[in-house]
Amino acid sequence: MKGRSPSDLLLVARQVLRKPQFWFGLAMLGPLIIWYIWFAFSPILRAFWMAVVEYKILQPDQSPFVGLRHFRMLFEYSLFWVSIRNTLVYAAVFYVGMVPLAVFVSACLTSVARGRNFYQFVIFLPVVVSLVAISLLFKMLMNPQLGQINLILKSVGIPPSQFLTSHETALYSVIGVDIWKALGFYVVILTAGMLNIPEEMYDAAKVDGAGIWQRFWRVTLPLLGHTLTLVSVLIVMHGLQVFTQVVVMPSQPGGPGNATYVMNLLVYNEAFTNLRFGFATATAFTLFVFVFLITVVQLRLLRPTWSY
Amino acid sequence: MAALLEQIRVAVIHAILLAIAFTSVMPFVWMFFGSFKSYVELTSGESLVPQAWTVDNYRAIIFRANFPQAFWNSTIVSLVVTGCVVLTSAAAAYVFAKYRFWGKEQLFIVILSTMMVPFAVVLVPLYVTIADIGLNNKLGGVIVPVLFSTFGIFLMRQFLEGIPSDLIDAGRIDGASEWWIFSRIIIPLSTAPMAALAVFTFLFNWDNFLWPLVVLTSPQSQTLPLVLAGLRSLYWERYDMWAAGSMLTVAPVMLLYAVAQKQFIRGITMTGLKA
Repeated sequence: MKGRSPSDLLLVARQVLRKPQFWFGLAMLGPLIIWYIWFAFSPILRAFWMAVVEYKILQPDQSPFVGLRHFRMLFEYSLFWVSIRNTLVYAAVFYVGMVPLAVFVSACLTSVARGRNFYQFVIFLPVVVSLVAISLLFKMLMNPQLGQINLILKSVGIPPSQFLTSHETALYSVIGVDIWKALGFYVVILTAGMLNIPEEMYDAAKVDGAGIWQRFWRVTLPLLGHTLTLVSVLIVMHGLQVFTQVVVMPSQPGGPGNATYVMNLLVYNEAFTNLRFGFATATAFTLFVFVFLITVVQLRLLRPTWSY
Repeated sequence: MAALLEQIRVAVIHAILLAIAFTSVMPFVWMFFGSFKSYVELTSGESLVPQAWTVDNYRAIIFRANFPQAFWNSTIVSLVVTGCVVLTSAAAAYVFAKYRFWGKEQLFIVILSTMMVPFAVVLVPLYVTIADIGLNNKLGGVIVPVLFSTFGIFLMRQFLEGIPSDLIDAGRIDGASEWWIFSRIIIPLSTAPMAALAVFTFLFNWDNFLWPLVVLTSPQSQTLPLVLAGLRSLYWERYDMWAAGSMLTVAPVMLLYAVAQKQFIRGITMTGLKA
């Protein structure tokens, strides 16, 4: 670079400008960069700013700086702690329910050859269906008096449940529906991962006298490492960002009482019901911290150091 | 003996899978039949299949709850966004996969990093951005923030890296223009991931709830999920109406799924294995 005179640089520039690749690349990436700056990067940067000012909706330029006051207010706000508790419980129960079930169903799917596509087709069906429709559907099925689920429970002698209408069961009812809906998504990923494990691994284990359980625990699960890590990260992100179901399913959003009040709902309500934009964005950042920390920890703990 | 045990094992696994498949599909069957029942029969009847079929629910809902307008709005949003996302993702991915320029990887990482940020963080600032350009309460306000898809660019780049560069070089030697190479070589070779991406994008936008809820406030501009959620208060506890409304929302997606099942499954598998 050092020995180049200005005329050399001009020559290089001229060569670049004459290349058709340069113009095509510019035509493709130019709009992309403008769009990302406008609708992705600058909203993120503006979020940082909004969290530390008292946002004035009509005169944004005159919003006074308040520092960390929103965060201090949050910590004294009881609904904030309720929403954190519900969100973490939601993500944890969703995780604990989903991972074993999805791995089990995938193992079943991998071990049958005939009918696999048919089963996959049907189990994946709830994934494609609109979440609002599913929420309404289960709101009907879970009606304590008229709902089909209680009728079925009664007919086999299990005591009926209050489901969405009771404080104790509402959150778990929503989680249960979510597991039912999302199961097929994770099953498809895990099944693909399991089918990707070379057959020789199983043959070698069989020769060594490993039974079906041993093959599952010693071959399938360890070799599934990368896929399992991905699924695990996706499941947690899914659980922490629940919103639609807790708006549509209970009698009022987040209800009954605050039983299903989650962080996304707090962000939404603070912003568009109470019009406290800065406060809402500060809440969103706390959610971000949870998502980020849990994801990083998972990647550190779970990510295998090998590949095949 | 061993063969018999193996047969029993296979039979048990099939039974388990059948039970799960049954659980997955049964609620929809109930909803389908329920939408053709009268309110009295739906809430009291023991039988799954309606004793007296009726289309009154559908008639009431179409004429009173603004469904045709919402259907149209959802169709416009989903189709426009799907078309744009597939094109922009393929074009950007091609440049990222096959061009060499200063700062390429850094730019790619910065773009990817936006996927880490939960949507809640940008909910308010993005609303302010959209309101500033006058798109709040317009379909454009739902369309513009999703014209590019980070996930789509990532997915397409993974695929395009696998296409040999020799093909592109051969085209250049023959004097083909960059646009010709992109539209006649790259696009035809990547129909599989593009179809998968299209299906996903369509579905996501057909079902999206949070962002349209923020942007679209007047009934005339609302999309299907919003109108459907509104049935809760419009028809309080009227399960017959809810079932009919849900069927109207779900039917197009189920049709699409029945036709494009392979693309759905392949799309998920591709992302799962490459990550």
